[in-house]
Amino acid sequence: MRRGGWRKRAENDGWEKWGGYMAAKVQKLEEQFRSDATLQKDGTSSTIFSGVAIYVNGYTDPSAEELRKLMMLHGGQYHVYYSRSKTTHIIATNLPNAKIKELKGEKVIRPEWIVESIKAGRLLSCIPYQLYSKQSNMQKGLNFTPACKAEEPGPGPSSVVKQLNNRVNHIIKKIETENEVKVNGMNSWNEEDANNDFNFMELEQIFPGRKQNGIPHHRDNAAIFNGHTPSSNGALKTQDCLVPMGHSFASRLSPDFAQGEEQAEKSSTDFRDCVVHLSQQSTRNTDAVRNPHRTNSFSLSSLHSNTKVNGAHHSAVQGPSSTKSTSSIPTLSKAAPSVPSKPSDCGFISDFYSRSRLHHISMWKCELTEFVSALQRQSSGVFPGREKLKKMKTGRSALVVTDTGKPVAVTSNRGTGRAPLRPGANPQLEWQYYQNKILKGKAAEIPDSSLWENQDSAQANGIDSVLSKAEIASCSYEARQVGIRNGMFFGQAKQLCPSLQAVPYDFHAYKEVARTMYETLASYTHNIEAVSCDEALVDITEILAETRLTPDEFANAVRMEIKDQTKCAASVGIGSNILLARMATRKAKPDGQYHLKPEEVDDFIRGQLVSNLPGVGRSMESKLTSLGIKTCGDLQYMTMAKLQKEFGPKTGQMLYRFCRGLDDRPVRTEKERKSISAEINYGIRFTQPKEAEAFLLNLSEEIQRRLEAAGMKGKRLTLKVMVRKPGAPVETAKFGGHGICDNITRTVTLDQATDSAKIIGKATLNMFHTMKLNISDMRGVGIQVNQLVPTNPNPSACPTRPSVQSSHFPGGSHSVLDLFQVQKAKKSTEEEHKEVFVAAMDLEISSASRNCTFMPSFSTHLTSSVNPVTSKAESSGKWNGLHSPISLKSRLNLSIEVPSPSQLDQSVLEALPPDLREQIEQACAGQQGEQHGDKRKEPVNGCNTGILPQPVGTVLLQIPEPQESNSDAGINVIALPAFSQVDPEVFAALPAELQKELKAAYDQRQRQGENAAHQQLATASVPKNLLRQLKPAAVKEKKRNKKKNPISSPKKIQSPLKNKLLTSPVKTLPGACGSPQKLIDGFLKHEGPASEKPLGELSASTSGVPGLSSSQPEPAGCRRPPAPNLAGAVEFSDVKTLLKEWITTISDPMEEDILQVVKYCTDLIEEKDLEKLDLVIKYMKRLMQQSVESVWNMAFDFILDNVQVVLQQTYGSTLKVT
Amino acid sequence: MTTLTRQDLNFGQFPVDSLTASPATAVTLLFIPSELEPSGAFLQPSLHLVNVKMSCHPELNQYIQDTLHCVKPLLEKNDVEKVVVVILDKEHRPVEKFVFEITQPPLLSISSDSLLSHVEQLLRAFILKISVCDAVLDHNPPGCTFTVLVHTREAATRNMEKIQVIKDFPWILADEQDVHMHDPRLIPLKTMTSDILKMQLYVEERAHKSS
Repeated sequence: MRRGGWRKRAENDGWEKWGGYMAAKVQKLEEQFRSDATLQKDGTSSTIFSGVAIYVNGYTDPSAEELRKLMMLHGGQYHVYYSRSKTTHIIATNLPNAKIKELKGEKVIRPEWIVESIKAGRLLSCIPYQLYSKQSNMQKGLNFTPACKAEEPGPGPSSVVKQLNNRVNHIIKKIETENEVKVNGMNSWNEEDANNDFNFMELEQIFPGRKQNGIPHHRDNAAIFNGHTPSSNGALKTQDCLVPMGHSFASRLSPDFAQGEEQAEKSSTDFRDCVVHLSQQSTRNTDAVRNPHRTNSFSLSSLHSNTKVNGAHHSAVQGPSSTKSTSSIPTLSKAAPSVPSKPSDCGFISDFYSRSRLHHISMWKCELTEFVSALQRQSSGVFPGREKLKKMKTGRSALVVTDTGKPVAVTSNRGTGRAPLRPGANPQLEWQYYQNKILKGKAAEIPDSSLWENQDSAQANGIDSVLSKAEIASCSYEARQVGIRNGMFFGQAKQLCPSLQAVPYDFHAYKEVARTMYETLASYTHNIEAVSCDEALVDITEILAETRLTPDEFANAVRMEIKDQTKCAASVGIGSNILLARMATRKAKPDGQYHLKPEEVDDFIRGQLVSNLPGVGRSMESKLTSLGIKTCGDLQYMTMAKLQKEFGPKTGQMLYRFCRGLDDRPVRTEKERKSISAEINYGIRFTQPKEAEAFLLNLSEEIQRRLEAAGMKGKRLTLKVMVRKPGAPVETAKFGGHGICDNITRTVTLDQATDSAKIIGKATLNMFHTMKLNISDMRGVGIQVNQLVPTNPNPSACPTRPSVQSSHFPGGSHSVLDLFQVQKAKKSTEEEHKEVFVAAMDLEISSASRNCTFMPSFSTHLTSSVNPVTSKAESSGKWNGLHSPISLKSRLNLSIEVPSPSQLDQSVLEALPPDLREQIEQACAGQQGEQHGDKRKEPVNGCNTGILPQPVGTVLLQIPEPQESNSDAGINVIALPAFSQVDPEVFAALPAELQKELKAAYDQRQRQGENAAHQQLATASVPKNLLRQLKPAAVKEKKRNKKKNPISSPKKIQSPLKNKLLTSPVKTLPGACGSPQKLIDGFLKHEGPASEKPLGELSASTSGVPGLSSSQPEPAGCRRPPAPNLAGAVEFSDVKTLLKEWITTISDPMEEDILQVVKYCTDLIEEKDLEKLDLVIKYMKRLMQQSVESVWNMAFDFILDNVQVVLQQTYGSTLKVT
Repeated sequence: MTTLTRQDLNFGQFPVDSLTASPATAVTLLFIPSELEPSGAFLQPSLHLVNVKMSCHPELNQYIQDTLHCVKPLLEKNDVEKVVVVILDKEHRPVEKFVFEITQPPLLSISSDSLLSHVEQLLRAFILKISVCDAVLDHNPPGCTFTVLVHTREAATRNMEKIQVIKDFPWILADEQDVHMHDPRLIPLKTMTSDILKMQLYVEERAHKSS
């Protein structure tokens, strides 16, 4: 059935073209068919099917041949080959799964459609006969307004109603059973309508799920019955169907059809009565109706039960007017105008919010809260209401919950608190209040679709899927007695209470009532907490004291006044705290008041169901029930520990207190908004990434509006996306709902607080892209902005260090890269240099824009340029700046900076988590060409890849592992180019400014560089075997140093030292040897600090080593394990081991090592891990002061001094060392 | 939808409560080594499964509660840099400062420990550490008093003034005299790092307390 395309082309061409033969064949078949048709025509012929072209797929009954004949007879077309363009209907009774999957928009219809249409003498709507349908398109959209489509044929609404009514009478007389059937139909009616619309538009409906679920039960029978009745007595059926229609119409369009409504209501009631007997009757009916056709259809219908039920109604309804378009029910279609406006439409968001009851309610709450706080600000201390009351008596302190009785209001009043409930009562609604009517929130009903969506809420409620899924926002007390609850689906409720009436939302009226209520309350006190639009908490302690009224008297007065002004009943609960007041309100409803006296609290609370406690929802209730707890009394037997174990500490405590009537929450008159968000998880169906992106941008604009309205800016952005859970049905039970979803969130912190839709949108899109979602599975999108800052205060406050740091850090990393490169370059020829540089450039560019800018121009001079960069980084405070978490973060957002492959230390790389390593390797892959050259160098330098991690004095890659900072997964490269590595020529080529900077940096660095070199040497030398390898490297380093020396004098000085160290077989720390990374890191750090010190730029916090600087050639220097920040020892135990080995095995500590330790300590300070620092210092103190060598004592003093300096700078105090 | 923002973590619930409960305990605990209260004035409830002595002086408790209550919103917004309990001697010069330094970890998430049990453990360790801190501190001179300082970040103070969480419990700018300590000695007590918060406690002690 899916050979599209070729036919069109083929039409003009001969056989020679591709598909030409088929085209010709098809054409011939058509001609044959036509000629046959003319022959066949006789008295029975008609043109019912003109314009219909069917294609029979698979076995059908009647057979394909018969269908062909029928089509001939009745003016239709029969295609032997399916043509997507020409075939209008596919006839099948069953399709294999593969074919079902292939269906896109085709109408797949059961053969009964043809048979029955012929019987009825007109073209019936094919919708009821649909075999499958993709539902997504058929369901209703957001536009609930029942506007009629102009183009739709058929009787206008009013006429329909009349007809309906007439027929209703007939029907009632004639067939009761049918009526019952209709009852079902009624509920589904609206949904069907929606379906119809879609069908008309799209010409296809497939109910994939239905078939599977269509296990026959009494409803199915009924459906079958309906389906067949038309054939036997079509008129009756039509009428029957119409009745429900009329009813639904009426209820929905009450204003227009007031009359019709009443009548319809009657009839519907009648039907309801019949429902009980439905099952019996339906069986009877089936029997009665049975004939060959019926049996056929019966089996079919049982398969498609739901569809059929609905379908039957439809067909009847549509019957009269339907021909091709079959839209006899124009009104319906209007009610559910076309597909939900797509989320991609720009109007979608505003449309959504203008119709969202939850949105209105939450917005009102905010408004009212503001209203209250505004009142407080303006408060003159005079409360007119209070004055009135003063004439009265005494009272006790209490909290009052005013709760306006629920009118038939649209909004649901949930909380019973001491807050007054504002019913959205308006005069029109008022009278309904006294009848049993449910206010139905949405005017439109949603077609239910599929049984297969069972997992959804529908199932939970045991709702038949045929019923409307529109939620009841609120219902009257009368309705509640029947068992209807807020939040129930309308269809279900209608079953419980056939006479249930739906009332549309009237947001405006509610708002007014709410306003009035609050104003009333505010005339007494300003100590009001707005809980919602219809509920408020009021602290009346003061009032009672002042007016000397009893709480009851006061409550009475308030209620009277509210009733006077709004005509809404208000309920008031009074208790000594919020909890009790709320519980009391529950008892006070409807339209009453209840004062829970302190002495009654215990008894009262014990009798309360746990589900009445605020914060106990369905899930918690079921959990409690499983523990055998139903009432608060039961709950009181639970220990706090047990509760906390079951429900978590906080909730457990809450339960523990609540079940005893304890509640210490104050009445909060003002609440700060913590976040502003916009979230839509209704009707989200995207097909294109572009749509989703556009939607996100729209949502960002919505956020902007809200931020502006609130006068806030936010810093932290969260994107939430609901994605269909794998395995969950593609289409949801509730149309446009989100179904079963996984929630995915991403959060990002912006540099500055913002309320700009642009910025937000951009950040959001970034996050969105990182999610890599399947667009079509998105079901909900929300953006939330946290960390709000008022707009008015100077914005400068917001942007602070973080941004600064982040900017520096990239620089730091660059410098590292550069260093590596530089070293290598030196060793190798100039050409090699270039290669390296190129690599470096790329990296830098990707990471930091600043540095990049000048890098390119100096590519050859990179070495020198590198230095300034590093110095900057250092100045920012940290050696390499990598340690601070913030920097890491910022880095993460950037693409990962990968040093050229040659610079990668294999051992470090291996130590990385696999995923990280993979990333790095991938990144390196591109640079491999360069790599080769580098590799050569590497071995020379210091066996980077070798077992010994020899930091040949320069480059160190820090790949953070276990540390916090490391966890970020960024690769931190810490390295400062050693002095020795600077190529004088390059340096000379730099602009003067840069040279200056560099010089300054170098002064400091030289020291460091030397130190580092020392360390390296030392470490290398210690492990004798390993050392051998290292030595060459060391030698090279020396050479480098020498080279560099000319450039900077200080370095020269150091370099000799280095050389000494190198040559001397000083032991490196055993631990160090074991972990190459550590050494390397340590080395790097040393360099960093040293260079920093000289620079005045160094921030105090960064390099605490000021004293240390290489200028202090302390002989006693000890070498410590790398800092926690470094890749080396992080755990305290490791650090200790390292220290111990160092101190116990070496008699003459090297300066480099000591500096390393200092660096470690200062890093600890940075990390705010003073505890560890303290421990480390103490441990060293113990070891070093025990040492026989006075050198160690001096080393300790040196370290301590340096640490103290840093501490002094950071904390303003020094460590107490006892 | 689950999110990992601070609000959605329900910071107002477990963590902050625990946090404030911890300092509350901490603060009262401090009085024991500081000898600010008569020893009879403490009860022994348990927090984080640690038996701690708590003050049972109602007004003291109220003060501490109010203080922490006011700090809570700031904590939630990550506006608090430090909470400092300062022990002052008779001349109102600081003798000891117990500094709770609070920072936000680089990545806020609860993914690794949604039950926050780890956090609880850390807080517990914190409290245990406090209870033994007198071992490392010198004795205070008699007649000490205490005050609580909150170091805020950025413009938090201003916001705080705008929104008084508790009526009649205003915050005032601390006197330099209260803040500045002569010749301080720093004694780190405890550092905790978790996914939702990083906190360290150290004591600054005047080198010569009796002078």
